[in-house]
Amino acid sequence: MVTDFKPIVSLEDVTFSYNHHPAIQEMNLSIYPGQFIGIIGPNGSGKTTMLKLISGIITPQRGNIKIFGKDVRKIPRKKMAKIISMVPQESYITYNYKVKEVVFMGRIPFINQWQGETILDYQISQDAMKKTDSLPHAEKGIHQISGGEVQRVYIARALAQSPKILMLDEFSSHLDLSYKYEIIKILRESLKEEIQCIISVFHDLNLASYCSDQLILLNQGRIEKIGTPQEVINNYYLKKVYHTKPNIIQHPELSIPQVIM
Amino acid sequence: MKFSTKSEKSNLYGYSNWRYKAILIVVVGFLAILVIGFIGLNFGTIAIQPKKILSILWHHKTDDSLGLIIWELRIPRLIMAMLTGMTLASVGGGFQGILRNPLADPYILGVSAGAALGACSALAVQYTAGLYLVPFLPVFALMGAFVAISLVYLLSRKKSHLPMSDLLLAGVAVNFFFSAIITLLLAISRRETRSMLFWLMGDLSTSSWNNIYWISLPVFLGIILLVSSSLELNAIALGEEEALHLGIQTEKLRLKIFFIGSTMIAIVVSFTGLIGFVGLVIPHIARLLVGPDHRIMLPVSALSGSIFLIICDTIARTIIAPTEVPIGVITALIGSPIFIHLLKRRNENNGY
Repeated sequence: MVTDFKPIVSLEDVTFSYNHHPAIQEMNLSIYPGQFIGIIGPNGSGKTTMLKLISGIITPQRGNIKIFGKDVRKIPRKKMAKIISMVPQESYITYNYKVKEVVFMGRIPFINQWQGETILDYQISQDAMKKTDSLPHAEKGIHQISGGEVQRVYIARALAQSPKILMLDEFSSHLDLSYKYEIIKILRESLKEEIQCIISVFHDLNLASYCSDQLILLNQGRIEKIGTPQEVINNYYLKKVYHTKPNIIQHPELSIPQVIM
Repeated sequence: MKFSTKSEKSNLYGYSNWRYKAILIVVVGFLAILVIGFIGLNFGTIAIQPKKILSILWHHKTDDSLGLIIWELRIPRLIMAMLTGMTLASVGGGFQGILRNPLADPYILGVSAGAALGACSALAVQYTAGLYLVPFLPVFALMGAFVAISLVYLLSRKKSHLPMSDLLLAGVAVNFFFSAIITLLLAISRRETRSMLFWLMGDLSTSSWNNIYWISLPVFLGIILLVSSSLELNAIALGEEEALHLGIQTEKLRLKIFFIGSTMIAIVVSFTGLIGFVGLVIPHIARLLVGPDHRIMLPVSALSGSIFLIICDTIARTIIAPTEVPIGVITALIGSPIFIHLLKRRNENNGY
């Protein structure tokens, strides 16, 4: 783990509330390059809010958030779009765009309005479709394909944006088992290339444990524990946060904890 | 290995040169407008032989009555119908894009009614106070349109976002309210009923070259500005937050589209009155024809809007000639069945 680098994302004493309901409280956090970060925690613990804060969609009432050492509030949206891309949990696309058009939208931040796109933009979109196995659907309408296929298209779009930080909000909910493995493999491989850090919200603890280098366990807007899956997923913390006593076993091949019913 | 076995396509997916496509569409569209326009010229209270029309057009004859009918009545009216159709349809397409709602259009959002009320109030003031305000009608229409869109916007805007259903409801309310005030003005100022009725139902009979000079620049400029926002409008379709993640300043874009759209609508409405259904139905048809990509869809909307309105106006002025039917009646009569058909089709196909 490379820890002597400067953090690429840092939160300093960040507090955010929706209409006086605190969602994130006095949060301090540093994220270093080369890592797959998983965010876990019960419903309403502030997971998605954290993603929104980091990407500057919402601004905290107190505290500072920095990306590559720069205050998020001072980064223009278009520049931010070249740094962070986001795979949403669920989103409805209003009109029936073709899959290839949706993936191509990932290139919008790079296209000059008057000069238009270049062949490179199409090349990158096509590579992203190839990686996620969306190419067979390229000519289909986004309303005509299944939930899992849509999720892969969203991931392709986010990859086409060639981000430095990739954020995902429960990217796997509709994916088949085989695609889960493939997508995770693609994501992990991309960490060796252009993408410097992946931050993903997980609902599924086992998947989080399987994917992540570091887990952040949230509880009522505060960080309960940061660490490797071994350090976070254990009886003490899960009982404290989820108020239930889980059964934890070790994965037969990998040394990671898995939660069973 | 699921991912590596897929055979590679030699061509680039998505790379269809949309610029050539757009230019082709514009050229074909204008040719279609010319042909349909010429056919439209043949119809009217006075029958003129197509051959005669060609010779009048060719020699630019304005010295006899037939030449005057063609050059000073039918052609200005034709061009006015073209420009009006273009404006209504492209602004409709832009509003449907920015609001992520296929039911939005300047008419439903109350912008047209606002413009009409602005113009009507100017007329009412003119008759009661005796000021001559007719040359300033576009200015009043503009103020009315901005009041309407601001009202709709402020009524539906929540703290951090803009719920689209609220916006549409606010639009419908403002539309009814403003239309009611127009009707009230109509009831009070009996003397001018005829000219005010014009604002309620749309009328192209007052078209003149002078009006065309007034509206063509804002119309073409507005369409260019709308089309130049196409990529951003495409991104908006993904959702408000997704668009932000793609670097779109959604709030700024919304205000920009509202501003451009309302200005175009106000200028056109001040010369033609209220014409419904064009802005609603034509973008749907354009999306069915060429898909939702705004870079292609908006020009196609503009051209189809022109053709639609030219046809409607030809019907309006000939169907019970020598009496004219208000054009708004024709667009609604033709537009609403098409609209219902589209809605049904959309439900059947689960998309469109």
